[in-house]
Amino acid sequence: MGGAVPNPSSVLPAVIALNRLAFGPRPADLEAASFQPDRPDSQDWLAHWLDRQLSPPDPSSGDHDDPEVERHLAAAKLRIRYPAGDGWEAVDEDRPLACLGQPIETLWPLAANRPAVAGPERQRPRLEVAAATLIRAVHSRWQLREVLVDFWHNHFNVNAAGEPAVAAALPVYDRAVIRRHALGNFRAFLEAVATSSAMQVYLNNRSSRAGSANENYARELFELHTLGSGAYLNALYNRWRDVPGALRGSPDGYIDQDVYEAARAFTGWTLEDGAGLGGDTKLPVTGRFTYVEGWHDGYQKRVLGREFDPFQSPMADGHRVLDLVADHPATARHVCTALCRRLVADDPPAGLVALAARVWTENRSKPDQIARVVRAIALSPDFAQTRAAKVKRPLELVASFARGAGIDLAATNPLLGELDGSGQRLFGWPAPTGHPDRMEAWLGASAMRRRWGLLLGLAENRWETGAIDLAVRFPAPLTAAAAVDRWQGILQGGEPEPATTAAILSGMGLAADALLAPGTKAGDDRLRRVAAFVAMAPRFNQR
Amino acid sequence: MTISRRGVMRGGLAAGLGLAGGGLTGLPGIRSLAFAADASAGSSSPGAPAGTLVVVFLRGGADMLALVAPADDPDYRAARTPELRVMAEGARAGIRLEQTLAPALDFRLHPDAAPLAELYAGHQLAIVHAAGLTDGTRSHFVAQDLMERGIAREEDLARTGTGWVARWLSEGEEGRVPAIGTASAPAASLAGMGGALAVPDLRGGLAPPGGPQAAAVLAALYRQGGGAYERAARAALDGLATVDGRLPREAGGKVAAYDAEGGAVYEETEAGRALQTVARVLKMDIGLRAACVDVGGWDTHENQQGRFSNAVGQLSRAIAAFHADTRRYDRDLTVVVMSEFGRRLRGNRSQGTDHGHGGAMMVLGGRVAGGRMLGRWPGLASHQLDRGVDLAVTTDYRTVLSELIGPSAARSFPGFQGAPLGVLQG
Repeated sequence: MGGAVPNPSSVLPAVIALNRLAFGPRPADLEAASFQPDRPDSQDWLAHWLDRQLSPPDPSSGDHDDPEVERHLAAAKLRIRYPAGDGWEAVDEDRPLACLGQPIETLWPLAANRPAVAGPERQRPRLEVAAATLIRAVHSRWQLREVLVDFWHNHFNVNAAGEPAVAAALPVYDRAVIRRHALGNFRAFLEAVATSSAMQVYLNNRSSRAGSANENYARELFELHTLGSGAYLNALYNRWRDVPGALRGSPDGYIDQDVYEAARAFTGWTLEDGAGLGGDTKLPVTGRFTYVEGWHDGYQKRVLGREFDPFQSPMADGHRVLDLVADHPATARHVCTALCRRLVADDPPAGLVALAARVWTENRSKPDQIARVVRAIALSPDFAQTRAAKVKRPLELVASFARGAGIDLAATNPLLGELDGSGQRLFGWPAPTGHPDRMEAWLGASAMRRRWGLLLGLAENRWETGAIDLAVRFPAPLTAAAAVDRWQGILQGGEPEPATTAAILSGMGLAADALLAPGTKAGDDRLRRVAAFVAMAPRFNQR
Repeated sequence: MTISRRGVMRGGLAAGLGLAGGGLTGLPGIRSLAFAADASAGSSSPGAPAGTLVVVFLRGGADMLALVAPADDPDYRAARTPELRVMAEGARAGIRLEQTLAPALDFRLHPDAAPLAELYAGHQLAIVHAAGLTDGTRSHFVAQDLMERGIAREEDLARTGTGWVARWLSEGEEGRVPAIGTASAPAASLAGMGGALAVPDLRGGLAPPGGPQAAAVLAALYRQGGGAYERAARAALDGLATVDGRLPREAGGKVAAYDAEGGAVYEETEAGRALQTVARVLKMDIGLRAACVDVGGWDTHENQQGRFSNAVGQLSRAIAAFHADTRRYDRDLTVVVMSEFGRRLRGNRSQGTDHGHGGAMMVLGGRVAGGRMLGRWPGLASHQLDRGVDLAVTTDYRTVLSELIGPSAARSFPGFQGAPLGVLQG
């Protein structure tokens, strides 16, 4: 399915690139002197841009060298309110994002609910990470990292809107797992995910025990995180010798037996969540990862055609599974397909996926493996030639509108609520697939209505997210047609589309030469609405 | 109860097919006769035997062996701790079902499914056990994909881009909103159907934001353009306006609270909200023929007992409320409940169950020959299990759905032949 842009030549390559590799262009991006998107060798600026974007400072040390983000995070407050309950006082306050930088042991009491606290306190970490995500999407100078952080949060999805323990673990997951590895090495990333408190809770590995292991994590590790369902050869079920390549130690895909065996390999990988260890010993209650040898199924195993000897050293079975799946060619294909789908098109060209998979495999031991793959995708001819093959998801729509319209966006509770209602509840997708990344999923009737509502609400500052600074862009009176054209130029660069201009003028009942006076209420109201209407046109919604 | 002329004709037809023992799809001559029968009835009601169909999909692989099970079966008792079982005795004993599927076994419904037990006893609800996908996938997403597209083989996924409900309704479509989904994303079983509307909630109204001016701009912006985005926007504007225009409003313009019939009370749960939305749209008389409802929370790998009890209770009460609220549709409305697979017979050590195979389907409505369990019970001994571990599938899910949609099944389930089970009254 592909929506064609009416006049593709009018869309600047820089706009396309920044809609895919960033949360949309800012006007300054398009105006910058060093930025010459119309040049035939426009790959030059992109290569330079990628050089900067792919070497951001270590995100685990905070938003280093990003004063705009630091300012917004420091100033952000979200309302929290609940009535008095059993063991707590009523609360109604605007509170800073206090959970964000905390270690797991500080937040884990919310998971354990000791001491007991009100529900909104237990949901608070998700709300704060969602607010920080919005702030960074709009304000971060490390835009490409933010795009990839969004990608990986969905690839390694956890649902923090369900179990409070996942919510409690989310800030650490966002900071020390996803952000830290978003541009790094996939094998290291996998292990960080496997040992994260958030994933241990979400896919239940923490309660998996020798005897009858819990298969939830192992199954999604194969199906979603690594090899992908395309490599699931379920018809062969337990006939591992029949899997092509298996007898050579390099099976083409996986079968249920691999899932069962991998689940055994991960038994004993758990959290310090106070679980009993027998007698009157218990694990501490910190929420940190730990390994319990007594829960591990130490006997021999066979995973992906490889024999595991019995009684290996602590965690060795699990490490070996991660090695095997990280190195599997199906993983390169599956993850690179997902990356190309995120960055280029719902159905990415096969040649592009193959190119990305090659770079992935060649660099699998490099610390910046993922950055190299992203670079190869962004500089490929397919990237430059593919047009309008994606529909922006609500987060992208919000962030790109704020960036384009110059809203100094603050993340507020009502905006987060609207985003939830749009179908993209951040860190709240129940299934381990993450939010869908194909346009069909975002084109439902109510979802379309929500999109339009998001744009209008931002333009008119209905949720105290920040006003559009009209005075900067509209210093003098101008005709309605000129205003619509100017907003098109601001929001998407290039030439305005006459059909869009005509539709907006006719819908608003404005003559093309009607004069709009900035600084007056009527003039400003109209100028704000025009911004929203331009963003409702098909072009702004695609990338 | 009055029996419509159309109902008699369909009943006769179905009975004839049942006697002949042939699949509905194998008799093209009969198929066209059925359409003729509908047309001659001159009714605005839908043409499927089951009337308007509400498909409730339990996402995550519902443990049907904890919902309706042979409580006294030694294999069942041996495989599961009491927490994961429907019990034959005790304070939390299951509700005994009269049935002839396996008369020697004591089949019982989960105690929190009491509202369903009542509908079963009232002959409104039938249960088809050991039903599901014949494909052996234990993947949620592959299994859901297969079922929503109405196929059974993974190699057909790549060439089946549309959903089974969409293909069912692709011809002879009546009404302005023939199908809705209650999730934010369009239902996969409705994929390919332009007129299908994804509407999770009606309580805030559905008019586009920004009043008449914004509506006029949106209409003008999307008047043309053949891209997916433009088409979706046009369909959304049209469908939203149709539904919004029929929502009763208070004096101030606020959407009035829904006034359910039959003393029905919908709870604030996923199932309750969704089925209330379906009932409202149904009663607008805008030609609703199918509704796709998702209910999540069934992937119970860990601490199943409490989660499953909650989920069963919420689902059962929502279905009972919907049934009470829509009683007047009687023979023109059917609800079918299904899931992508059942769960492992044996529990794991997290007090949960892992992905399995066979499940069960439930069918509710005025045309249903209820109070019965249907299908073939395969048994739970090791040698009777699929792969030695999971409930076997003895009834293809398409058998049940085919019977509900009648002759259109040939479009929805291409290449599938299955004799009707007799879920509907003959």
